[in-house]
Parts: sequence; C-alpha cells; structure tokens
Amino acid sequence: MFLILIKLAWRNILRNKRRTIIASIAISIGLAALIFGDAFMIGMMDNLIKTATDSFIGDAQIHRQEFRDTREVSMTIQELDEVGANLAKEANVRYFTRRTFSTGMIASSANRSAINLIGVQPSTEKFLSQIDDAITEGVFFQKTNEHDIVIGSKLAEILEVELGDKAVVTVVQAKSGDYFQDWFRVSGIYYFADAAMNSGMAFVRLKKAQQMLAIGNNVHEIAIKFTSTEYGQDKQVPFWETYSQHGNEALSWTEILPQLPKVFAMSEYSKYIMGIVLFGVVIFGIINTLFMSLYERMFEFGVLRAVGTRSFGMARIILFEAGALAIVSIILGAILGFVLTTIFANVGIDYTGNEMMGVTVQEFIYPVLTIEQFTVYPLAVFIFTIIAGLYPAWHVAKMSPVDAMRRSF
Amino acid sequence: MEQIQKTDVIVTESVMKVYDADGIPVNALNGVDLTIQSGEFTAIVGPSGSGKTTFLNIISGLDAPTEGKVWLSGKVLSEMGGNELSDFRRDNIGFIFQAYNLIPVLTVEENVEYIMLLAGVPKTERHDRVVAMLETVGLKDVEDRLPTQLSGGQQQRVAIARAMVSEPAIILADEPTANLDSKTGADLLEMMRRLNDETGMTFIFSTHDPMVMESAKRLITLRDGKVDTDETK
Repeated sequence: MFLILIKLAWRNILRNKRRTIIASIAISIGLAALIFGDAFMIGMMDNLIKTATDSFIGDAQIHRQEFRDTREVSMTIQELDEVGANLAKEANVRYFTRRTFSTGMIASSANRSAINLIGVQPSTEKFLSQIDDAITEGVFFQKTNEHDIVIGSKLAEILEVELGDKAVVTVVQAKSGDYFQDWFRVSGIYYFADAAMNSGMAFVRLKKAQQMLAIGNNVHEIAIKFTSTEYGQDKQVPFWETYSQHGNEALSWTEILPQLPKVFAMSEYSKYIMGIVLFGVVIFGIINTLFMSLYERMFEFGVLRAVGTRSFGMARIILFEAGALAIVSIILGAILGFVLTTIFANVGIDYTGNEMMGVTVQEFIYPVLTIEQFTVYPLAVFIFTIIAGLYPAWHVAKMSPVDAMRRSF
Repeated sequence: MEQIQKTDVIVTESVMKVYDADGIPVNALNGVDLTIQSGEFTAIVGPSGSGKTTFLNIISGLDAPTEGKVWLSGKVLSEMGGNELSDFRRDNIGFIFQAYNLIPVLTVEENVEYIMLLAGVPKTERHDRVVAMLETVGLKDVEDRLPTQLSGGQQQRVAIARAMVSEPAIILADEPTANLDSKTGADLLEMMRRLNDETGMTFIFSTHDPMVMESAKRLITLRDGKVDTDETK
C-alpha cells in the first residue's frame, strides 16, 4: 500500500509541473535562505570572535581584581613571577604576553591628543595581537631603541607626524601621582578598521612603560592565547580558578566582551524567528498548492473514497504528496543553498570597518557550511511541509464521496 | 427483518431523502421500498430528477437516507461507522462510472489492483487476479499503459475490471454506455451480461440508454422519487 501511495504522490505532483516547480522554488528558496543565513551567522561569529581575540584581547586575560573597573595604575598583577612561571608550564596555553596600561597625553610640535599608552613585549605581543600585521609604515619595534613608539594612522594624522618624528608622552605615575614625561620617535604606524584603536592607542616597550609609570617590573595585564579558542569559552576548566588567586582574576574573552556571547545567543533566536516567519509564508503557499491540486481532482478523490479508501487513507494520499513536494524542494533548496554559500565562502562578504556588537570587523566574512545545515534544516522543512499538508489532508479525510463527486450517479 | 431471504442483496424500506437547496427542502426520494436479489441485472430508469442518482448513492452507502432503512447483504448501512462503511463498500460493491473515472496517474494494472491493495490481498494473488480480470474484459497486454493511452471503450473495460476484480456482491453502474459509441456500448453491455450470467454478480444500472433497458432482466422506473413501475422480464 505504501508503494502505491508513493507512486500516487510522486506522479500527482508531476501532473502539473509548472505549479509544482513554482511551489518547490518557493520552498527551496526558503531552505536556501536558511542555509545561507546560518552559514553567514557562523561566519560572522567566527569573524567577530577572531577579530576580538586575535586583534588584541586574546582568549583570556589576567589582571589584578578591579583593575578593569578602576584602571588604577598601581593595581598591578600580584605574584607576577609565579603566575608567569605557571603559565609557561600550562599545556593549553600557546602564548602569553605582559602589558601595562595607562592613560596619558601625547603631543607633537603641531598638536596633542589623549591616548591609552600600552607597554608591550614586542617578541610575544606579535603572537597575541595583530598590531604588527597592521603596520602600514615603519616597523613594529625593531632593535632595542627604548624611545620607539607605534601609533595608529588616525593619531598620526591628528598629531601631524610621520615616521621618525618626535612626540612627547605624559603619564601619571603610580603611588606618587606625579606627572612623568618622556620623548619618543614614531617608529611604526598601523591601520585598523577600528577607529578607537587607530586614534586612541599608542604602544611603547614594556620596560619603558614600567619605568614611566614607576611600577618596577610589574604589569597590568597578561594576555593569553590558548591552543584552542573553545578552551577559552569553557568555564569548567580549572584554569580560571588557578589564576584567580592572590587578588588576581582570570577572565575569558566571553567575560571581557560579554556582549558578544549574548548577541550570539540572541542571533540564534533571531535565526529561528526568521525561519518561522519564512516558513510561515511558505506554508500558506504549500497549502494553496495542495488545495488547488485537490480541487482539480475532487471527483478522483470522490472515486477513491467510493471504492473503499478510508478517511485516513485519503489523508495519507495528501500527506504523501506534501512529502513528495518537500523532498523535491529540499533537494533543490539544498543545492541552491550549497552553491550560494560556497560562492560566498570563497569570495567573502565585505563588512570590514563595520562595528558589530562592539567589535569592528577587520576581515571579510566567509560563510561556513556545516552538516547541520543539510540535515536539521531539510528535516525542519520536511516537517513544516507535512504540517502544511495536514489541513488539506484533514479536508480530504472528512470529505463525503457524494460531495466530492457532486454527481456520483 | 427475518423475512429477508439469503438472495436479497438490497432491501430498501420507506427510503426518503430530502435535500436542502438553498433553504428549500427538495424531496429526492419519497418512500422507496425495493428488494433486489442476487444475480439480478437491473436497470433503474426515469426522467432527470426522478431520484435515480440519489437512490444509487443511498444503496451504495455513499449517502444516507433522511428516513427509512437500507439493508445491503443483510447489513443496515446507517448503522455502520465511517471506516466500516468504507471497508464494506470495498468488499461488497463495485462501481462503474459514466466517465470511467480511472486514476489517471496509475497504470491499468495499478488501477485494477488498487481495491485489492486496500483489502490487503497479497502481491502475487493481486497480479494473477488482475491479469485474469483484464483477460476476461478483453484487455490483454495493456496493464502497463496509462488510462490516457486507451480508447474510451478500453477505459470502460478497465473500469469494469476494477469494479469486478474483488468479486463484490453488487456492481453499481452509472450510465456506463453514455460516453461510448453504440457498437462499443453494445459490446460492453453484452460482456457485462455474460459476466452476470457466469459469476452471478448483481448488476444495477442507472441509465437512459434503450440498449441497456432492452438488455436488463428487470426494469425499475422511478418518477418523482417513487417507484413508478417495476417489471421483470
């Protein structure tokens, strides 16, 4: 019986090819849009995580507790040597680097500007941030000149300085609160899509920064790169507790940028809402298609009913047709979704310079294909289509043969 | 109904049917009492609106009477539930329609075997019975064709094969010759008459065709929803 129902369904949907093609295209576009939308979301999330963690933040950071709130220069990491030694032994830590942070003022002969002065270790910093990759002029610290300073292109524009030009940086020292001034020469200029990084940051050698801030060998931050980004998202691992001692705190990037995971979770919901709206529209198209097909074959249904097909059997005929329509549409939609996503996964989508969720996109977004897009979504489309077929199926099931045939004898 | 004899396949008792035509009640049947015995070859005739269609709908269980009772093979149709009635029709009644009404997307073999599929007849038996039935109606070697690839006469033969293949007690035929030329109609009528003689199945026709009336062993004339005349030849 199953076989004859499949034959009936398949041949019936091919009876009016144009209508079937139109309905299938509508469903398949919906599926392709879902596949592409999901692939884009994954690509965008990967991009944002990569941008957030690779450009400067890292997968995790260690600070003195409350430093992030107060930005107090004297609040350096406690037991730094022990922390550093332990980190060097951690199997999941690929790289780490030390940093100092302070606000300050930079002045050139032409202009001045407020900055965040960051002291870095060039040899390890290059593994944690992309400043070295973003250099457009000069170099990211070479040799050992302690008066080198690396600034953003926008800041160079504000200060009207070029490579080799002199600039004076003023900071407030820890504990004493005294002003301290020193001169630097611009050794590198970088460009980031993030306007704040371009115009408001300046990098000097760690030793020089420690000296200016009078904090000895202490630092404000250790930025960490794990062997996998996922490790940084797993709050169950003992890492966090181990390094949240002695008044320090170890934070993952998800805590440093809490808006990102929240927005990712929200975008998951928006994806489902988009899917529901999309298929809500498609579902009426399917119902309409099935009803048109049903009314065209009313007498035929009357005959099937008259010769002894039970109500459930009648409903099954419609549901099998809906299923056949779904399968055709799923194949079309999966091909369309695959082709569309593959093209953009290679070409990329240019969102560079746009700020999303507090992170400025630095690279093209490349949609990511996953197995779920070709299993879960097609299954959802199949279920949606069958649900859409329930109403016409119920209509056929309760139809009296006399009404269906109008004039049966 | 102890008085129903074993050979009484259809008994109607004071069957009335009132339709609602836009709020106006229309009496399609006005108390029809009839008994049709097994093996009859009966034609129901009458002018348009006389109630032929309604009567056949009611005795086949496709429609329910407003009043009165119908016994089919000893069972009261109005006492059956939806699925029971469907199964009962499947097992006891074969339908032949004026416009053949084969399922256009199914082949000849599939059309004929459909009812047996519903009844759960095993595949081999189904195939054997389809082949035998098609041979009986004079349609060899067409089982793989679609109905649209057959002539009107051939399609009606397939419809007859479909109606008879499950060996029902009764065949109800609605103007079976109306869409056929007289030669093909005469051939089919002769074939049905022969099958009636050979198998003992009861044939009931609704018709305007004088040829069918001529061939019928019993002629029931309906007029204004009542039996006007009932002649057995």
